[in-house]
Amino acid sequence: MSRRGVLGATLTVAAMIAVVPLSLALERRAPPAEGGVGPAPVLLRASILRPLLLGFHPLAADLYWLRTIQYFGAHLQTDEQIPHLYGLVDLVTSLDPHFIDAYQIGGLFLAIGKRFPEAIAIYEKGIAANPQRWELPYDLGRLYFLDLKDEAQALRWWEVTDRLPGRPHYVPRFMARLYTKTGSLETAFELWNAMYEGSDNEWVRKTAKQEMQKILAQMKAQTAPKAGR
Amino acid sequence: MRIVAIAFMAFTEAVRDRILYSLLAFALAMIGSSIVLVRLSVGGEAKIVKDLGLGAISLVGVLIAVFIGVGLVSREIDRRTIYTIMARPICRAEFILGKFCGLGLTLLVNVAVMTVGLLSLAWLLEGRWSPELLPAVLLAYVELLLLTAAAILFSAFTTPTLSAIFTLSVFVIGRLIGDLRAFAEQFGGAGLRALATGLSYVFPNLARFNISEASVHALPLGTGYIPLALLYGGAYLILFLAAAMAIFARQDLK
Repeated sequence: MSRRGVLGATLTVAAMIAVVPLSLALERRAPPAEGGVGPAPVLLRASILRPLLLGFHPLAADLYWLRTIQYFGAHLQTDEQIPHLYGLVDLVTSLDPHFIDAYQIGGLFLAIGKRFPEAIAIYEKGIAANPQRWELPYDLGRLYFLDLKDEAQALRWWEVTDRLPGRPHYVPRFMARLYTKTGSLETAFELWNAMYEGSDNEWVRKTAKQEMQKILAQMKAQTAPKAGR
Repeated sequence: MRIVAIAFMAFTEAVRDRILYSLLAFALAMIGSSIVLVRLSVGGEAKIVKDLGLGAISLVGVLIAVFIGVGLVSREIDRRTIYTIMARPICRAEFILGKFCGLGLTLLVNVAVMTVGLLSLAWLLEGRWSPELLPAVLLAYVELLLLTAAAILFSAFTTPTLSAIFTLSVFVIGRLIGDLRAFAEQFGGAGLRALATGLSYVFPNLARFNISEASVHALPLGTGYIPLALLYGGAYLILFLAAAMAIFARQDLK
């Protein structure tokens, strides 16, 4: 091998060896992440962003959706502050107005974060953009019933659900229960159970299961004093 | 028959091009990467796979159409192989048409490979085939043919670099023209509105070939939308190829 070749090979090997220690040294000197939850998301106006994406806006909606999940997950585990969540879900659903999962799960995220007016706004936006989908008025009815304890509004949205194609068989039963205004805890349990059985999504099923366990505990607590008497 | 021979030659040449393989590998990697993205998502998993797949087909197809398309004619002139071809009983229009068909075939094979990859991935995820994606792929292919014709048209009278810039501009303006018209209608005066409306009818509105959103969500299209879009694309193809043939016929190749 020529002298130039030996030099080249030595440099290549040295560079290969140096890569990992250099990477580690840089990592130690990098500025710390803000509170462990990362920087605030960059929210652009969908009306400006959409044309600039040259028809690839559904793909951008997907990428923003992944960012939304990251944002929610990171803040749920730390400070539980989610001021940008509505903006993110709104952007995703403006880039792809038919992204039903984004309305459903985005609305659920907002409800978990106790941001009920924003959750309602997302569901209503979804209903306006997808008037033939039963899932969104159904979810909005559930939000009113479970979180806001507003049975009149819940009934109103389940009546809308009842008129839509493909709605689940249990919707009329919930409506009947609300009409008679009996068994709130049982109805709540049934609602979460319907969500648990009707969803293929592992996260949704897990959340529904946790809620059912909470309701079961409440039911036990209610019956225990009666039994003790 | 002569057109078929030139087309086959152009196809063989394109297949030997390394750019093609790197772009195809990039597209398949992009489609494959959706497996990772899906794991990060809560909801919308099938949508992400389909969006990414259709996006990759369109984006990589555009790159192939532009970067291989602009070299189809100019490379023959640079290498002086055009003189050997023209010495045979082949007219210039047949040469242009043959080159177009050759790259069209290359794109067809690439789009088919990427579509099989996308459909297989969607099948793995949903446990069913997704034929609703096929109209989107068909119209994306028509859009790619249009861009190939535009690339050949520009390369008939200018350098490959300028041809690539012009063809990419056709893509960008074509995808934007509908939005530009909407902006003009919202914010512009009467003159700008008329100009934008006129341009949107004259310039190829490539957004008409992008129905990926409707396909992924299985939304209904208007009656006869696909045949009309095919006719619309066909009309522009004829215009672009006729212009390329007319310009190439006047070139001094002696």
